[in-house]
Amino acid sequence: MSELQLNGVRKSYGGFEVIKGVDLDIKSGEFVVFVGPSGCGKSTLLRMIAGLEEITFGDLTIDDVLMNDVDPSKRGIAMVFQSYALYPHMTVRENMGFALRFAGVPKAEIQKRVMEAANILELGPLLDRKPKQLSGGQRQRVAIGRAIVRHPKIFLFDEPLSNLDAELRVHMRIEIARLHKQLAATIVYVTHDQVEAMTLADKIVVMRGGVVEQVGSPLDLYDDPANLFVAGFIGSPKMNFLKGMIETGEGGTFARLPDYADARIPISLREATPGTPVTVGIRPEHFKEHGTASLDLTIDMLEHLGGETFAYARHGNGELVIIETKNGRGLKSSDHITARFDPGCALVFDESGKRLR
Amino acid sequence: MRNNPANIASAVLTYGFVGLMAFLSIFPFIWMAFGATNSSIDIIKGRLLPGEALATNIANFFTLVNVPLVFWNSAKVTIFATVLTLAVSSLAGYGFEIFRSRHRERLYRAMLLTLMIPFAALMIPLFIMMGKMDLINTHIAVVLPTIGSAFIVFYFRQCTKAFPSELRDAAKVDGLKEWQIFLYIYVPVMRSTYAAAFIIVFMTAWNNYLWPLIVLQSNETKTITLVISSLASAYYPDYGVVMVGTILATLPTLTVFFFMQRQFVQGMLGSVK
Ligand SMILES: Nc1ncnc2c1ncn2[C@@H]1O[C@H](COP(=O)(O)OP(=O)(O)O)[C@@H](O)[C@H]1O
Ligand SMILES: [Mg+2]
Repeated sequence: MSELQLNGVRKSYGGFEVIKGVDLDIKSGEFVVFVGPSGCGKSTLLRMIAGLEEITFGDLTIDDVLMNDVDPSKRGIAMVFQSYALYPHMTVRENMGFALRFAGVPKAEIQKRVMEAANILELGPLLDRKPKQLSGGQRQRVAIGRAIVRHPKIFLFDEPLSNLDAELRVHMRIEIARLHKQLAATIVYVTHDQVEAMTLADKIVVMRGGVVEQVGSPLDLYDDPANLFVAGFIGSPKMNFLKGMIETGEGGTFARLPDYADARIPISLREATPGTPVTVGIRPEHFKEHGTASLDLTIDMLEHLGGETFAYARHGNGELVIIETKNGRGLKSSDHITARFDPGCALVFDESGKRLR
Repeated sequence: MRNNPANIASAVLTYGFVGLMAFLSIFPFIWMAFGATNSSIDIIKGRLLPGEALATNIANFFTLVNVPLVFWNSAKVTIFATVLTLAVSSLAGYGFEIFRSRHRERLYRAMLLTLMIPFAALMIPLFIMMGKMDLINTHIAVVLPTIGSAFIVFYFRQCTKAFPSELRDAAKVDGLKEWQIFLYIYVPVMRSTYAAAFIIVFMTAWNNYLWPLIVLQSNETKTITLVISSLASAYYPDYGVVMVGTILATLPTLTVFFFMQRQFVQGMLGSVK
């Protein structure tokens, strides 16, 4: 069942368009993550769903009801803000019950729901404190609690973890994933951090410059990016991009890497014109000893993480290639290496950034 | 190193300067306090020691002045002016900062420009206006022109810049209308800003002299500042009695400041934390 739908949604500030036509279907119970570089319009899109920004063009429906002009509090959504936005003059209990009080929910019911949320989030001992007396992680949990008590159809999160330190961020990430299971809630979550997106999402929406670049499951986007931007954005360390050229020869059509010793990536001729320049993408972990293609490189720098090693290696033409390897403990800077990879794993993009298959 | 001559000299200069300033601001209070205990003659002679005329001065003050009425007038004017100024000017400052419109900045600058017009230039037109509205010799006439205070609007707009916009968003999602956001979120969150503004407005209203002097003409409506000044400008002013009056007139502002100085300082530093 489709719960939330965006049809040709646009947003302009003055004459400046920041959301340039977004179509999106979000199913009930889905965890959807909007990800993209800062300024690409993620928050704006989320705030349009929340009703905090007007929709300039297009339709927004929730459960098949047109929501464009419906008050934020009547959309069946709850939102968790980046700064938590807790009311500083109210206790945790009052913060969580505030919306319900305004909706005219009876006192006993408010009390019940606040306790319920407090139990889920282990906020019991903090209920009578003011936000000022809480740590960052606790404030975050209160902000989530404030959303939970309203029993919304859809939870909206705008970069909820970006104000936390690294350790707490990982902890809260797991917490949010657990909540999603426990509440069977529909969640729309905004982040600029692709690791958060990969670990949390059922469905990732990659955005750039007000446009949706690709929608898909985390692994789909990782294995099968539609364009250069998505390929570069998803995955850490980043995918390597090398200059290549389309060539036809014995055995079919290839993307060749002219600067490199021996590397031919087979692609179908349907999409490629021989002689045109392309970009070839190889993920760092796709370098394997038994690969049939190879690059001759010199190691610039090494990062030993214990379990694996990242080698930052340079080719004679100056291009930097990152290689991930399990047995790189013996490597040294300025070693000459032949990095092998399976050409079947490499991706080819045309000059406009579109993927060639 | 701490005892080298340059440091000592600079310490002497600093303390000397601070001491002089402290003396200049405290001296009138001391004079007022001692004056209240001396006879008028002694004060004119420049006696700066406690005297024995305190009881006489107080008794004279209470016979010359209808104290309850005068204080009641002052209190009425001050309370209305303070409450209305805070309500109107904080709403305006909040509105100027939060709501966008094409003419916002132009309007705002025009409002700030009014700060440069001296009150003396406005007195006569204001008086004529009040006359046309038949408000001369009423307390409404004293309060009305002070309500829209450009300075307090400015102060609230500056402080509102620190009011997080996500609080407004959270409140909207929680179902609050604009006026409810103002009343239930903004006002309590900004309470130290209100406290600081309260002190300023309260003191200004209580000490207001020139405008009440013009619009209040009968003894039934006069405020404490007017009464004291008329005592001081009598043909044979009794300075001991005047000093008793000034002490009584200073008490309310002193009390307010004493109880609210912590909030005042907080409000001046910025109220949202
Ligand atoms: N109120 C506004 N007025 C004008 N431009 C805005 C406003 N809000 C956001 N923008 C612009 O819209 C673009 C998208 O912003 P935003 O949605 O906050 O990006 P993100 O959350 O992806 O970092 C940015 O270029 C930003 O400058
Ligand atoms: Mg954002």
